[in-house]
Amino acid sequence: MAKIILHFIVLAVLFFGTWLLLGSIDYLKYFRVEELTKEAEHNLQELILNELQKGGGELDSDTVYSFVNGIKKRLCTANGIEDSSITLHILVRNEVNAIALPDRHLIVYTGMIRYCKSPEELSGVIAHEIGHIEHGHIMKRLRKEVGLSMLAALAGGEANGEIARETARLLSSTAFDRKLESEADASAVHMMAKAGIDPEAFADVIFRLSQEKNDVPKHFEWINTHPNSHDRCAEILRLRREEAYINRPIADSAAWANYKKIVRGIPVSLK
Amino acid sequence: MPLQSSRSTGFGILRKGCSVPLREFSYTPDEYETEKASNSYLMSLVVIMVGLPLPIVNVIASAIFFLSNRKSARFVRWHCTQTLLAQGFTLPVNAAGLYWTLGIIFDRTAVSNNYIAYILTIILFNLVEFIATIYAAVQTRKGKHIVWWFFGPLTETLVKT
Repeated sequence: MAKIILHFIVLAVLFFGTWLLLGSIDYLKYFRVEELTKEAEHNLQELILNELQKGGGELDSDTVYSFVNGIKKRLCTANGIEDSSITLHILVRNEVNAIALPDRHLIVYTGMIRYCKSPEELSGVIAHEIGHIEHGHIMKRLRKEVGLSMLAALAGGEANGEIARETARLLSSTAFDRKLESEADASAVHMMAKAGIDPEAFADVIFRLSQEKNDVPKHFEWINTHPNSHDRCAEILRLRREEAYINRPIADSAAWANYKKIVRGIPVSLK
Repeated sequence: MPLQSSRSTGFGILRKGCSVPLREFSYTPDEYETEKASNSYLMSLVVIMVGLPLPIVNVIASAIFFLSNRKSARFVRWHCTQTLLAQGFTLPVNAAGLYWTLGIIFDRTAVSNNYIAYILTIILFNLVEFIATIYAAVQTRKGKHIVWWFFGPLTETLVKT
């Protein structure tokens, strides 16, 4: 019996030793997997952004851009994320929507800025999208729903415009699955708390959107793509209770009102 | 599977001049027995194409062959058992590889150096088992007794009479 045990140990050592030995080789670097993935993600991002920009160009206001980018920076800095690694775009569109794109690009529609009652609410939406980016949800979802071969064709520039449009539509108007949404929500609550922003504002915007979407569903893309709003609000408030934070306002209500005016195209004299 | 070395453990002696260590069985099996014993190895090879993506198929095939021969001569039972044990060992190893691969396909996890190393390891082990199985099938057909490393002694404790 001792001999059998000894043989088994030798066999196990041989197996795990081989695995360990082969594991010391950096295959991903050798096959340039990471490099190629980044390149493909970058190409995809450009393609999808181009499609989305056809529906509305970038907002021509450095003031608003700096302000929204400041919110993103505050969230990133407080959570150990390199702020410059996430690129913000503000597109002039009426839909209440925000979208995370491949290659760490984040899109906020002016419709969303106009809809939010406070910069804290907007920060909740941005934190949620950063959550998707940080968890790598975008490529996961595209791989699942568009398929690897189609993605490769898109990234390599071999697919036609119709497929690019479909992919852009998928990202902007359909949901991540429930698990991914919950993950992004939990990240948003944590990020907001660490940045000294009350996560309740995030629950507020979700709740309000879910209440109003039935009236004008066409414009409330963001909540249409994020189902089970009541459950989500309850979960966000539960997670909020677990966080310790000191609330520091992002901007006063007068400044926020001015930013919203700029977004609406109303001339504003800023102090 | 590595073939076992030659020291005596009640099975007999190492055949002189043989490059791979072989042992003699306690009796000389007849034609019918060597054919059946050889088939037990072939059975695991026949289903290997199906068994690679679904490792359980190999074990089921070997188990069916084992059960259908449980009242056969000792030589046949002995080799059926050795095949079944070897399949039983590779099942969890291959199943883990399959589970890991499905996780990557369905995006639960990403391709990593560890994953590639694991797949290469199981390919290597399956290849060794494949070659050992072909060798054992040929040799048992000739009436030679092949004792695999670990599985041989384990089989010996299970197939007493």
